[in-house]
Amino acid sequence: MVSVTFHTPSSKPGTSNVPERRSPPSPAPQAWIRPVALLLVGLGLGATVGLTLTAETMSQFDAPGGVAIFLGSLTGLVGMYLALVMVLLISRIPVIERLLGLDGLVGWHRRLGPWPVSLLVAHAVIVTIGYAQAAKTGLIHEVGTVVTGFPFMIIATVGLGLMVIAAIVSIRAIRSRLSRETWWLIHLSMYLALALSFAHVIALGPSFVGHPVTRWVWSLVWAATAGVVIVYRFCLPVVRSLRYRLKVVEIRPEAPGVVSVICSGRHLERMAVSGGQFFSWRFLTRGMWWQAHPYSMSALPRPPYLRLTVKNVGDHSAAVSRLKPGTRVAIEGPYGSFTRHAQHRQTAVLIAAGIGITALRSLLEDLPNGARPIVIVRASREEDLVFRSEVTELVKSRKGKLHELVGPRHKVLVDRRTLMKLVPDIGRRDVYICGPEHFVADIVELVGRLGVPEEAVHHEAFSL
Amino acid sequence: MRRLSLIVVGAVAGLAAVVGLHPTSSTANALGTGGQAAGGRGTTNPTTTTPPTTTPPTTAPAAPATPTPAAPSTTAPAAVARSSTGPAQQYGYGTLSVKVTVTGNRITKITTPTLQTAEQYSQQLAAQVIPMLNAEVLKAQSLNINGISGASYTASAYVTSLQAALKNLNFP
Repeated sequence: MVSVTFHTPSSKPGTSNVPERRSPPSPAPQAWIRPVALLLVGLGLGATVGLTLTAETMSQFDAPGGVAIFLGSLTGLVGMYLALVMVLLISRIPVIERLLGLDGLVGWHRRLGPWPVSLLVAHAVIVTIGYAQAAKTGLIHEVGTVVTGFPFMIIATVGLGLMVIAAIVSIRAIRSRLSRETWWLIHLSMYLALALSFAHVIALGPSFVGHPVTRWVWSLVWAATAGVVIVYRFCLPVVRSLRYRLKVVEIRPEAPGVVSVICSGRHLERMAVSGGQFFSWRFLTRGMWWQAHPYSMSALPRPPYLRLTVKNVGDHSAAVSRLKPGTRVAIEGPYGSFTRHAQHRQTAVLIAAGIGITALRSLLEDLPNGARPIVIVRASREEDLVFRSEVTELVKSRKGKLHELVGPRHKVLVDRRTLMKLVPDIGRRDVYICGPEHFVADIVELVGRLGVPEEAVHHEAFSL
Repeated sequence: MRRLSLIVVGAVAGLAAVVGLHPTSSTANALGTGGQAAGGRGTTNPTTTTPPTTTPPTTAPAAPATPTPAAPSTTAPAAVARSSTGPAQQYGYGTLSVKVTVTGNRITKITTPTLQTAEQYSQQLAAQVIPMLNAEVLKAQSLNINGISGASYTASAYVTSLQAALKNLNFP
């Protein structure tokens, strides 16, 4: 068995012993992308509404069902447009991911999620009402006519059904009862749902019938979106996995229920990754190849080695501790904006709870020299303090301070008084927070009240 | 909120661009404003798609003589029934032409000699809508009718063709 050390040895005393990086950092986020992206989203929304408006004439509003059919087109087209934005958000376009981080993208995806689905359901209902009024028939009767009489409407109806199911299982209360894999498989059908509904939009939409230009533009925009998804969700991870050829060389217990997986690979000196980032890992064994899980890199790459650290909280992480050396590993990423690029100020304070220490450990290694990091680590028991010696060394070499807060959650907590005492100048520092969701939420709120502006607070939460 | 204002600015620009660039489809306007606007359009460029295909006043009833009583049952002085077919109009979902019969100064009969649609639904829709349009025109005795929503393309093609046919007959 190889013994790889990710430890920073406290080399010759007196010298600055911050070790050199052995691989490049991830590219810095480009701030100008944000306003441009927001402007583009708005532009698309306006154009979509414009398409609906120009397809109508005032007289149509006077005709029976006219208002309903117009509203139906509007909700349908705007709903499809928002669905497109949702797909783009989750496609992890690198320039945007660097800016928001994967959890930022997922956050927006969740917040926006209810809109396209409700608009598209409203579209189906309103259009049917409109046609029923126009044809002067009953609503129930018209449902049959609309679904079976129009071209591509049967598949579009199936698509809407899939979409509603996928939306329902994403409601927090229901999602928490499902395994991650079940949810993911159901959620994946959203892509199918969108593909199925595409044809009826083009064939029946008043904005597209008889308007070849709009048809082309709409189709091209969707084709481009599909291309973005295929490139960034499929091709890029495959290319990266093949380039780095990672395989497991060692499973090392770090603490009760915590193991590090040490992988070796080729060309890791070219892997652009920053401390604090994570990958989605796919271990290519019989039972695990089909699921990818996000785990933090717990140290900067030491070519040819890479280390991730996993806490045993579920079936997958338990299986990780039983991985055999030699297992091939596919990766997606690196992801996350919880990096040195987020730092705006000279100095920083890093706060971690539980297994949050893993991301914090690699971030600490990557912080610039002048950061003088104050590191606060919270754990319930002494033996849960993972990487204790590594963190101590890193803090020392960067002329920072380490505070370990050990004890039961209700007794030893990170509250206002503790923070004021340990970090009197917190208002002038960047604050990095990493840990379980509720911990991160609490600390974000707390430092907000302590006067740290929003742009200086960076966090990464682990959802278990 | 800077984010929101950027989105709003983008949306307004996008909306303006589409509304500005997108000429409202030429036939759609003919409808609703009724005969008047349609008449105006007719004078400049009567039918965009095809030149008037059918013969001018086809004196409908086979009788060669001029005053043929069209409705012998009525006690009113007999009027001549004349008919004309408007040019075939292509609309997004198919092609149609309208044949109108005018007796005296009344529209008495409307048919659609040409009706081809792209697919079955449009056929159904046309079959449903054209009788409604016929009834409306016969009732209004003009093109001042409401469109049928959900069938605006069919209806505007109908109106354009009918308008040309009526013009052939010098119907007011």
